[in-house]
Amino acid sequence: MNLTLSLLALIALAPSALPARSSGGLLALRVDRAETIANGTMEHAVILIEDGKIVMIGEDLPIDRGIPVIDLPAGWIVLPGLVNCYSRAGMDGKGPSDSKPELLASSVLYPASEAYPEVIEAGITTLGQYPPGNGIPGQAVAVRPQGDTPESMIVADNVYLKVILRATKASKKRISAGFKKLDEYLEKEKKNREKWDAAQEKKKKKKKSSKKKKDDDDDDKKDDDDKKDEDEDKKDDDEKDSPDVYEPIELKPEVKAFKDLRDGSLDALVSISKSADYLHFLDALGEEEIGWSLRIPLTREIDIFLVADKIGEDGRRVVVEPTLSLHPGTMRARNIAAELSRAGAKLVLVPRSDSLKSHKAWLRHTGEIVAAGLDRETALRAMTLEPAELMGVEDRIGSLEEGKDANLLIVNGDPFEPGTSIEGVMLEGEFVFGEVNQ
Amino acid sequence: MLALTLALLLCVPPARALTDESTGGDVSIEVGKLLALDDQNHVFQPGMIWVEDGKISYVGAPRATPEGMRRLSYPDAWATPGLVDLHTHIHTGGWGDINDMVLAVNPGLRVAPTLRPANALMRRACVSGVTTLFGIPGSGTNISGFGVLYKTKDDAPYERTVLAEPGGMKVAQDSNPQRRSGDLGLTRAGMGWILEYTNRRALRAMEQNRFDLSLEQLKRVHKKELPVLIHTAGSDGVVNTARMWRVTFDTRSVLSHGSFDGWKAARAVAEMGMPVNHGPRTTDYPWGRNGRMNGSASEFVAAGVPNFSLNTDSGVIPQEEFFLQASMSARYGANPYEMLRALTIHPAKAFGIDDRVGSLEIGKDADIVLRSGDPLDPRASIKLVMIDGQIEYDRERDGLLF
Amino acid sequence: MRYPIEPKAWIATLFALLVAAPASAYWTPGDDDKKSSEDAEDAEADEEDEEEQERWFAAVGGDVHDGSGGVLRGATLLAKNGKIEEIGYDLYIPEDTETLDVSGYQIWPGLVSAASSGLFGGSSALEDTVDPFNRSMVLALGSGITSAVQSNQAGKLKRGEIEGIVMTPKVFTPFSYKNSDPRTKTGLEKKLAEASAYRREYMQWEEDVKKDKDLKAPSKKGIDGSTLEVLAGTTWAKFAADSRTDLLGIARLAQRYGFRPVIEGCTEGWTVADELGRAGAFAIMTPRGRKTKSERLVRDGGSSIENAAILHGAGVQIAIVPATTSISLNGIVGRDMMHLPVEAGFAIRGGLPEQAALDAITRVPARLMRVEHRVGSLEVGKDCDLIITDGDVLHYQTFVQWAVVEGKVVYNKEEELFFAHIRPRPEAAFAPEAKLDAGETLEPDDQEASSEEEESGEDDSDDGDDDGDDDER
Repeated sequence: MNLTLSLLALIALAPSALPARSSGGLLALRVDRAETIANGTMEHAVILIEDGKIVMIGEDLPIDRGIPVIDLPAGWIVLPGLVNCYSRAGMDGKGPSDSKPELLASSVLYPASEAYPEVIEAGITTLGQYPPGNGIPGQAVAVRPQGDTPESMIVADNVYLKVILRATKASKKRISAGFKKLDEYLEKEKKNREKWDAAQEKKKKKKKSSKKKKDDDDDDKKDDDDKKDEDEDKKDDDEKDSPDVYEPIELKPEVKAFKDLRDGSLDALVSISKSADYLHFLDALGEEEIGWSLRIPLTREIDIFLVADKIGEDGRRVVVEPTLSLHPGTMRARNIAAELSRAGAKLVLVPRSDSLKSHKAWLRHTGEIVAAGLDRETALRAMTLEPAELMGVEDRIGSLEEGKDANLLIVNGDPFEPGTSIEGVMLEGEFVFGEVNQ
Repeated sequence: MLALTLALLLCVPPARALTDESTGGDVSIEVGKLLALDDQNHVFQPGMIWVEDGKISYVGAPRATPEGMRRLSYPDAWATPGLVDLHTHIHTGGWGDINDMVLAVNPGLRVAPTLRPANALMRRACVSGVTTLFGIPGSGTNISGFGVLYKTKDDAPYERTVLAEPGGMKVAQDSNPQRRSGDLGLTRAGMGWILEYTNRRALRAMEQNRFDLSLEQLKRVHKKELPVLIHTAGSDGVVNTARMWRVTFDTRSVLSHGSFDGWKAARAVAEMGMPVNHGPRTTDYPWGRNGRMNGSASEFVAAGVPNFSLNTDSGVIPQEEFFLQASMSARYGANPYEMLRALTIHPAKAFGIDDRVGSLEIGKDADIVLRSGDPLDPRASIKLVMIDGQIEYDRERDGLLF
Repeated sequence: MRYPIEPKAWIATLFALLVAAPASAYWTPGDDDKKSSEDAEDAEADEEDEEEQERWFAAVGGDVHDGSGGVLRGATLLAKNGKIEEIGYDLYIPEDTETLDVSGYQIWPGLVSAASSGLFGGSSALEDTVDPFNRSMVLALGSGITSAVQSNQAGKLKRGEIEGIVMTPKVFTPFSYKNSDPRTKTGLEKKLAEASAYRREYMQWEEDVKKDKDLKAPSKKGIDGSTLEVLAGTTWAKFAADSRTDLLGIARLAQRYGFRPVIEGCTEGWTVADELGRAGAFAIMTPRGRKTKSERLVRDGGSSIENAAILHGAGVQIAIVPATTSISLNGIVGRDMMHLPVEAGFAIRGGLPEQAALDAITRVPARLMRVEHRVGSLEVGKDCDLIITDGDVLHYQTFVQWAVVEGKVVYNKEEELFFAHIRPRPEAAFAPEAKLDAGETLEPDDQEASSEEEESGEDDSDDGDDDGDDDER
């Protein structure tokens, strides 16, 4: 009798005793509040996860029996895993001081770096990693901070081209020279194509009326100059050499990068240090229409607020740290992030530095500038969906929506309050930090 | 016969002082505009000054000149007293010999032996209308010694050049001594201790009536026989200085410099009753950190310091550009007339030599400067400089020198 | 005299020509009612102008000092697309003109400095490195300077813009001619001799080639290009020289080869002023420069406050620059680029006429920069670069209230933190009072409008409370 009861109890309790690791299986999370980013704050949220993706999310969703449920304690909040789109955590090495747009950060990933678990501890589930160096150091890669091989880490490659623009002739020339080389290549390619087309045409014509032509040649040869003979001979040679399949001119990788910029398949992230750099960048860009965002490291007395309106008018994305600056020459604080956002720019936030300390304090620092006037929703978005959009991975990352990766950050209070700490981090459906599942 | 001789003798006019008739002697000067800079702020347009025996015997509207007086007429000129600069280092003729750092404090040192009368720099000062200078040692140590009050005469013996020797004490309390390396007094704590300790030693020696060669002059400072000029800067430095030399010790002290953000503590300095001798910096942008070009001179005046004067700390600023300190202070917010007083009567009063210099008043030394216009306007040039009744510079005779 | 055709016919023909020609110019299809009158001319001009973006600016009611010494009191200055259109009274001001009411203030030409450093924020190639927001540029504008030479380029202080900064890409060509380095002397003399000879040969060849077409032009090989430019007058030869001997040498060299030397420094110029005058020299100098003459020398020497006056009297053109050609905020005021007029004041002290002193910071440097047709004085057709001051520009208490560059207001004293607290502009005194007709009261809208203005100003100067709390170490 007792044994039966025990067995029954076991069976009854079994579902909740099952480990909440859904390797393939379903998992449901119930939480007081979820910041979905895409659809605002959701109370009493229920998130259904399967195979590493969010399959359903809604308020007070009923959960089928058999699905393991984790009820998060009262007051806890779930956010999407944070996205740091501008980092060199886990990477070392120096780079060129030149234009090397073909270099890829993905080629120097070191998965075993201890930086990655640390980054996860800080709640970051996606990193945008850029190559080192000055000038145009190359293209960035979006990675998950976990994996055995570089390939297994890559979420998307070629997510943006890093460009450092300063008010110097050399710096501006890198951009204009890059496009000039592209134009030269396109010209060459066009001429090459035209030449091949002409040769193919000649071939066809020759085959059709080869005999007739030969008779004409015999007659003409008696009358024409030697020069004409030479031309005819030369054409014969061309026809012989012209391959049947068109062989394009080699597209060098550095030229390809600029081609991708022009085509729109690659965007640039341009790092500037002051308002003057912004004007000089627009001057260097000239008539070219490319997709670009701005990276503005916020220094103590930066004057970028002088062109905030222009940046906002465009609706540009700006990547900044959560820090307060000073109005130049004074001790008056300026919340540049808030000012840019209010002017219409799309705000993307990154930690104050690549150190572990800054990563762990990222939420707290953002909380400081929220308290100083930055809109809360904008701040949340700036750490999640906006950087995902900058890197073009918003289809799978950056918000709590159906179909997206189950990258979650679980905190035990308002993420922007100093006392709040991280309770758990889920990466593609698996808990990679914290003791939530115990 | 005797009666006749006596009568003749009585008729003979009193003997004149043995001076060169062309540059000295009794003279009456008529000018277009006279700024007396006395307490009543008299201005006479036109004006007249009489000089007798090297002293001013009349100041006012033009009158009939007495017989025997040479008459000089400058109908287009402005007359002001000679300028008084309390913080100068041109007495040696250059930068040499200014700092003698024998010990951490050197109250026994005196500037007198290093004085080079009529050196080229002094001459330049004279031709620009600066007639009284307090030549002091530098700020290498906390008490660098005793300076000399002298006039910028050309070719006159030491006795007639020097007003007072020692003229006063020089203390450096902040911002320069701490830059020197040494085993003591590297920080303000150490320096403060040294100064206090030394002062108390002097006071103790006074109480005990004990003779101590190195402290004898310092005792005179505490007896208020000699003034003391303290080099100090920063908002913390000025408060420290005012407290030590006005509250802790009762002295005839004058705060010198007060640069950087010293103006921010101006009210505290004013409340402690400390006169301020400001310069060479008379504005502050970087240290105030309010984004403004703060006219620190006007701030000190606005805060109500009991006596505000300017200096050059020559040769940080060339001595002949002393007037420009007033022009610039006026530019950045102060009242120009007040700044002219800050070049003349205020420093004289601060150092207790206003019985002799600083304004055009009867009985004072005939230190008179004639200019072609506003004394604060760089465009106006000097026409005549008279010191103790002697014409030291005459543009017509000497050419335009500055 | 008898005419082959009747006089009447002549008259008729003449009249027809007189009327027809102008009339045909004015007639446009469909505009039958347009006559050959001034209205027609204006109307057509307007139509053409409407196609370009017209940008008008006017400064109204100030005392216009055009830079030549003349004053038009209470006049108006009108500018179109950055160029001065008209100066005078009762001008017609088009709609949409940005108007500045400057009654009670004075309008002067923007000041020009023949040497500067740091104003443009960048380094050598100004076009590509200019930081048009940098503090030095703002303070320079606030001190009245609107154009300056930096890195040998003549630049315009166009705040907030990077287009059209450089007016002249290469202002001076530096040369060396020092007694202390005899090689410079022989070297330069050789170059000048060769270049001069080449020029003579070339001019002769130009004549000769007309007769003999096959005659070959003289070879330019070995001739120094810069020296050639100097002799041709397309560039200025600039020498840095202070001593009497060097100055004399340069003056004589210049006279011999027929070029006008530009001399930087020129401290002892007053001792050889006549020679320099004969050479047509320019001096870029600082009146307060001090140099003591060596005691061993009997002759005149060293610096003199009368240097500018004496040189000017001998015909040397004077450009004045301050001792420190950058903006200095370290507290020792009066000797940097913020105080260019003060420096000019010292030249006046030394006897330089006031007009020459003003020229020394306006027209003469503009001439050296080869942009006298654009800047340096206020004349119709020149760039609208002007400063509006609260007094004589050469007075030590005068402040620039507004600075205008190419018809745009780029500096407003009350809107910058630097000097707004010093003798603030009493706006109320000059703003016209709101007009009320009998029975009306101030609309609530007016009150709201004024409070909006207060909020929008980011740089409110009401921070008296904060002083003393934010001290830095």
